[in-house]
Amino acid sequence: MKQQRITFQNVDDLPNVVVSLGTMEWNHTGSWRYLRPRHENKVPACSNACPAGNDIEGFIRLIGENRFAEAWLKLKEENPLTRTCGRVCFHPCEAGCNRAHFDMPVSINALERFAGEHADRNLLAKTARPASGKQVAVIGSGPAGLTAAFYLARLGHGVTVFEAMAEPGGVLRYGIPAHRLPRAVLDDEIADIASMGVTFRCGVRLGSGGDLSYAELVGYDAVFVAIGAHESRRLGLPGEDAKGVMSGLHLLRLVAAGTRPRLGTRVAVIGGGNTACDAARVLLRLGTRVGLYYRRSRAEMPAFKDEIDEAIREGVELHELCAPVAISTNATGAVTAIRLIRMKLGEPDDSGRRQPHPIPGSELEVPVDTVVAAIGELADPGALPPGVEVTGDGSVRVDDLGRASVEAVFSGGDVTPGPRTVVDAIAAGKRAAVAVDLYLAGAEKAEAAKVMRVGLGGGISMSQYLERSLAHERYGDSEHVVTFDELNTAYFESQPRHRLKRLTVESRLSGFAEVNAGLTDREALVEAARCFHCGVCTECDNCYVFCPDVAVRPLGEGKGYEIDYDYCKGCGICVAECPRASMSLAGEEA
Amino acid sequence: MRKVIMGNHAASHAVRLARAQVIAAYPITPQTQIVEELSEMCASGQLAAKFLKVESEHSAMASIIAASSTGVRTFTATSSQGLALMHELLHWASGARLPLVMVNVNRALAAGWNIWTEQTDSLAQRDTGWCQLYVEDNQEVLDTVLQAYRVAEQIALPVMVCYDAFILSHTYEPVDIPDQDRVDAFLPVFSPTRLLDPLNPCSFSALVQPEHYMEMRYRIQQSMDEAIGVFRTAGEELHRHFGRRYGNLETVATDDAEVVLVTAASMTGPARLAVRKLRAEGVPIGLLKVRLFRPFPTAEVRAALAGKKKAIIVDRNISFGKGGIFADEIRAAMSNVDERPKIFGYVAGLGGRDITPAFLEAIAREALEKEDPPELEMKL
Repeated sequence: MKQQRITFQNVDDLPNVVVSLGTMEWNHTGSWRYLRPRHENKVPACSNACPAGNDIEGFIRLIGENRFAEAWLKLKEENPLTRTCGRVCFHPCEAGCNRAHFDMPVSINALERFAGEHADRNLLAKTARPASGKQVAVIGSGPAGLTAAFYLARLGHGVTVFEAMAEPGGVLRYGIPAHRLPRAVLDDEIADIASMGVTFRCGVRLGSGGDLSYAELVGYDAVFVAIGAHESRRLGLPGEDAKGVMSGLHLLRLVAAGTRPRLGTRVAVIGGGNTACDAARVLLRLGTRVGLYYRRSRAEMPAFKDEIDEAIREGVELHELCAPVAISTNATGAVTAIRLIRMKLGEPDDSGRRQPHPIPGSELEVPVDTVVAAIGELADPGALPPGVEVTGDGSVRVDDLGRASVEAVFSGGDVTPGPRTVVDAIAAGKRAAVAVDLYLAGAEKAEAAKVMRVGLGGGISMSQYLERSLAHERYGDSEHVVTFDELNTAYFESQPRHRLKRLTVESRLSGFAEVNAGLTDREALVEAARCFHCGVCTECDNCYVFCPDVAVRPLGEGKGYEIDYDYCKGCGICVAECPRASMSLAGEEA
Repeated sequence: MRKVIMGNHAASHAVRLARAQVIAAYPITPQTQIVEELSEMCASGQLAAKFLKVESEHSAMASIIAASSTGVRTFTATSSQGLALMHELLHWASGARLPLVMVNVNRALAAGWNIWTEQTDSLAQRDTGWCQLYVEDNQEVLDTVLQAYRVAEQIALPVMVCYDAFILSHTYEPVDIPDQDRVDAFLPVFSPTRLLDPLNPCSFSALVQPEHYMEMRYRIQQSMDEAIGVFRTAGEELHRHFGRRYGNLETVATDDAEVVLVTAASMTGPARLAVRKLRAEGVPIGLLKVRLFRPFPTAEVRAALAGKKKAIIVDRNISFGKGGIFADEIRAAMSNVDERPKIFGYVAGLGGRDITPAFLEAIAREALEKEDPPELEMKL
């Protein structure tokens, strides 16, 4: 730039303001930069915590924009059972939600249910891939089987689901009671999957002694075994085979099928898991008095906390630190009482929970008409394909993509080791669908597995698998999970979390009506506005507004920003003022 | 439309009618209600302005300096400690020739803490290159803010409108709030000559070397001198548009007076009563209200006081080690006038102490009796 000497003839010639005569664009202040800011989306803590890798931030954003059906579709990309999960999921996402450190976590579960109430099946068909000509048999129609079927169909494969019971749904229909998951909701969910071209063959039990042997499954290129764990553990006590003793699963199955068994007036439920709580709450609705006996204390109960709280609120009498020792019977072989012994807690065992020890001489007898045992479930070994390797408790041994030890056989859900929850089963079904797809295509798994990963929590993304480019739309290549201290909370205001509305106990016990209410449109909008959108740019314009050099420029709605590195001095104000850590600052390469 | 409103809301309405585009402020008693009302006007859509919440008065001033540089009409308001915190940027605003308008509600400075009225806060900023006006009642608050925008944009210098804490800020009086179209006719759309424009980036306020710096200061002084006439014209235009007359000074019964009581801001009200009473008794006294303090209307003050025997100046402010600031300014203004009055300066009413008609009457009587002004000007 040529130096130009400015001379003024007199005072009046002077400008009022000190300003350069020409543009200063030639002065590339970006050359001073040592640090380079950039827009970089990261993984929200909620998605990281979700076994199914749901795009939680994404669907909540759509709800906030009044695009309810699209929010449902967004959920459906990663989870075909959104209406179900919106009711029965134990929502680890909310435990992960960064807002918990600010006021209360976002009510993600209620929002998921809300989105499901605005489902539009017509949108779904558009997501399918062209037919591959391959056929896959899915054994079992619980959450793992339904999920695998849905995604395999989306991936263009022919899918037939074999279900031993009269209707599809598995544990969702025959395990989880209707007061938690209304049957009409489940039917809608399954109808979505059927609309993808999935064939259901109900009343067909696979395996030895079943209706069909695995050898008879001809014409299938792969098999996904997701038969669940429907055999109850035995109590191993005297009197266990008496009239009036039944398993929790059996009770739930009977009631789900419309039977109302004769139970008498007093029932003892043994166990502390979700099956025990479900059975206890169902028994209340059948009009009996229910005592729930658990050998450890309430804090160690494996059931979801909300289920325990509601069971007690409804009138279940919880007896902690009580273990059964015998079941007393009368002359006709019917139950008359249960003998229990009081326990005390000792040192933690392998599971980290404190081990119960009987207190000598503390036995007591409680008169009951029925004993319901719900102390755990096992897979039915007879229903497994011949030759598959199993673990010590009879679960199918699988690798990290759900592949069993036999060629073309995949497995997931409660029949495999790991947490037995609906969302974990959904994750397993999705993982297996990908594994089957890769197997049928003969593709290498490692690369695909990397593309699918959501954060570090083990969740995987089907949309990222289906459309490799989508990976960049969502969180880029980032595996960085946003923590609370990375947010700039000056931009957020405290707002109370939605309080779930429930039926009164009185009206609950008169039938099997759904206990929890959904959100109204307004409530959903208010709750959606609580989301911090951790790690994901919402185009709030803070970077643009705060840049002292006007070097950050908005590119228009939905297009994000560009940074003009000719003028960006690398001060980092944009990164500091980003409320949601969707910008990064790194040292400039030498 | 006539409404009974507090002085602070009179200021808010004036800013709304002036169609301010960027407002930045930090709350401080007794100013807060001005910007509180403005924030509500912005929220409700009555006023299409960007309202910036900032973390200090320093930031408020910095924000409107930046906004004004892009060529929009701006506003802020403050008081006392807040104004003191802005000090550095007040110089910047005038040096950059920005037509900012600010309301300062006069409040005493700490320590000790005091939220009541006193003018030392704004008078301590008299050398920052800001025009300053001191107003008497709520109607004058509204009218003066409108006048301030008009003059500031004409002379490219910032204007501060000052009025007394609580006596005006929180007191309800009937105020005529003119219709928007009448205000639009009085106050034209702001059309700045030079804009900070990201599409044509220029360097602003860069280093100015000794061969030019003084000339730039000369230009400011030149504009200040011009401003006296511009304020006078704007006052006449206010009268033409709204029927209310505001000069740089106002005189009451001074023509045949031998003694003139000089006041500024709200104490002028009680002074009117005191002068009326003394006049009724046959005392040859008049009243001079000084409205424009910067630029100081020296010629007009001389014209009003030349030939009088005594000028009694009541100051609600103090320059420690010297005395009342208005008295000093008037003493200086009259220094080269042959027929000049003796100057009786009284400092009174600091930290919100009442200045009543009886008090002013007593001061006047004392000054009338005494041959020479008191040595200690403070009137406890």
